[in-house]
Amino acid sequence: MVTRRSLFPFSVRLIVPLAIALLVVLIYPLIFSFWVSLHDYSLTALDDVRFVGLQNYLELSGNPSFWNALRNTLIFVFGAVFLETILGFGLALLLHRPGHRFTNVFRSILLTPMFITPIAVGLMFRFMLNQQLGVLPYLLDKVGIQIDFFGSQLALFSLILIDVWQWTPFMLLLFLAGLESLPAAPFEAARVDGASWGFTLRKVTLPLMKPVILVALIIRGLDAFKVFEYVYAITRGGPGDSTETILYYIYKVAFRFFRMGEAASMAYVLILITMALVIVLYRLMTQEEA
Amino acid sequence: MKHRRHVLIWLAIGLMLAFVLSACSAPQPTEAPPSSGGEEKPTEAPAKTEKVTLNVIMEEVPDYDIVAELTKQFEADNPAIEVVFDAMPYDAMRDKILTSFLAPKATYDIIIVDNPWMDEFGNAGYLTPLDDYIAKTEGYNYNDFVGPLREIGEVDGKIYGVPYYNYALGLIVRQDIFDDKGVAVPTTLDDYVKTVQSLTTDDFYGAAMQPQRGYKIFEEWKNWLYGAGGDLTDDQGKVIINNDAGLKALELYIETYNTAAPPNSLNWGFDEALRAMATGQAATMLSYNWMLPTLNSPDGPAGDLAGKFQLYEVPGGKAVLGAWHWAIPKNSQNADAAWKYISWITSPSVDKERVIKGGAPIRVSVMQDKEVWEKGFGEQYYTTVLSILEDAEPLATGNHAEEIIEVVGTELNAAVAGQKSAKQALDDAAKQVEEIMNR
Repeated sequence: MVTRRSLFPFSVRLIVPLAIALLVVLIYPLIFSFWVSLHDYSLTALDDVRFVGLQNYLELSGNPSFWNALRNTLIFVFGAVFLETILGFGLALLLHRPGHRFTNVFRSILLTPMFITPIAVGLMFRFMLNQQLGVLPYLLDKVGIQIDFFGSQLALFSLILIDVWQWTPFMLLLFLAGLESLPAAPFEAARVDGASWGFTLRKVTLPLMKPVILVALIIRGLDAFKVFEYVYAITRGGPGDSTETILYYIYKVAFRFFRMGEAASMAYVLILITMALVIVLYRLMTQEEA
Repeated sequence: MKHRRHVLIWLAIGLMLAFVLSACSAPQPTEAPPSSGGEEKPTEAPAKTEKVTLNVIMEEVPDYDIVAELTKQFEADNPAIEVVFDAMPYDAMRDKILTSFLAPKATYDIIIVDNPWMDEFGNAGYLTPLDDYIAKTEGYNYNDFVGPLREIGEVDGKIYGVPYYNYALGLIVRQDIFDDKGVAVPTTLDDYVKTVQSLTTDDFYGAAMQPQRGYKIFEEWKNWLYGAGGDLTDDQGKVIINNDAGLKALELYIETYNTAAPPNSLNWGFDEALRAMATGQAATMLSYNWMLPTLNSPDGPAGDLAGKFQLYEVPGGKAVLGAWHWAIPKNSQNADAAWKYISWITSPSVDKERVIKGGAPIRVSVMQDKEVWEKGFGEQYYTTVLSILEDAEPLATGNHAEEIIEVVGTELNAAVAGQKSAKQALDDAAKQVEEIMNR
């Protein structure tokens, strides 16, 4: 009786259901998809699944569409997250007015884009920026400006702006929370010493906010990597392949062409790349602190 | 202290939102179809007295509405069979159909198959051969379906699908403008380019094109390719899309896009082109033959312009053929009942009714039927559609048609966007098509 209790203490027994659930819904698909990535696995030839080793991975190096999609995704992630961080931080500074009467009203208004499901946002902008029906091209045309938002030059940038519109509020939310958690003492000291607003921002606010910024960048960056809805709803990867992002490409290979093995290998490469980026980002941010 | 708690609450809210939103937004294409309507009902055939339920996947298009209405008649005549439609947009269909194939018990007893999927599904062994059913069905007259449509449903000498409706392309023009200016409707590709250029002014365009990446641009441009004397492959199956004829077709296409199509229409599909025609901005478009009745309908999108549109064969004569076919999945538990329904809806008499109501024609006898001409859209329309269908070929065939269409359509669009030269785009397309075919 005593041994059984020490082998399975109460705490371990509490964890068991969760561990089993995780194993089933997380670990099993991960292992299975890795197994698939080592095979020639096509959904229309299930009686002909062959082990091919690392061939799917090796073939990726010679697949220009994959690298193009990866390049587009990186441009999208860096562009969108950069703009969202700047805008989100700026808005957070403006909204950080403890005790102001309308603070909560402004916060609620600014947070609304985040509550719309991304596919709806994609469809919304598809029509708003449409050359024939859109309100924006119509108004711009009135003042003599003609812009093709989804032409080959601007399409990726337009998608970045849509992402910025939707997800800047998320950054704002995190930064605002961060700002409110900062201790008052350093700011009071800075004011007593006569530091200017800009000096205080650079030397006090930003260093203190670094952990929050790191978390925000990682969460938003990882999320931006998963961009799919805007591409699916608006451009389908076009014009040419200028807005084909990595998840859209993987979706196409897996669920339009049914080549699961190849798609699984791409997904694993994507995981490795995002993990590497997170580690680099984490190192960069913590190194400076030390 | 109070501040700290505040912060924790905000952070918690933020994180929760991040998870919830990302979970909502994650695409889940493999999911089983949402249970709507009758899907919860058992699919296997129960005891004799009980009802058989046929689940049918459909695309939300005008032809579906007509079929759904006619089906009430079938259900009244066959009280033991209930037909439940699951209609959805095109994009949702392909993976749902495949999921149903792979399930131990089919989600769908009847599916409709787009022409690029036919060889793929047939060769994979997912479809029931219909030869015996057709032979046993009296008065079915299979050979009455237009030849090129029949060929699509036949894979390796077996029939896996019977036609549902066609979407072959034709040239739709504003007849009033051609008549006013005394211009003849072009019958060759070179004439077509010259004509639409001459009709273009500052705010009126000769051609509403659909250069959207992927299916759309390939569907339109392949008519140009035929018009220039080219093809995707030759008789031996060698890829010849990048020969001189191909290059001429693409260069003319780009020139026309730059000189006679509405500006900034690089992302246009057929919706946008139709809208441009309907609002009187363009003189011609290459589009599905059944867009003509839509444009000429007084209640349709064209308003006062209704009645001024006319249909012709595409310049050069040979057109791109699209078609949907009815098919029965191998794992369907109700194959006999499924065939009973399919053979009814495609039978000569019911098909005639369907076409009179506005459905896209598939049978020769129906297109030559005087009653159809009178009650439908007139003799000229049906004879033109018949001549289009008789000289038409699908975009691509074989197990990888879907992928071939996608890569060629991407290269073509890149060339029109100016990202590549026409020659480079066609060479790249040919190389990829060869790789795909050899897979």
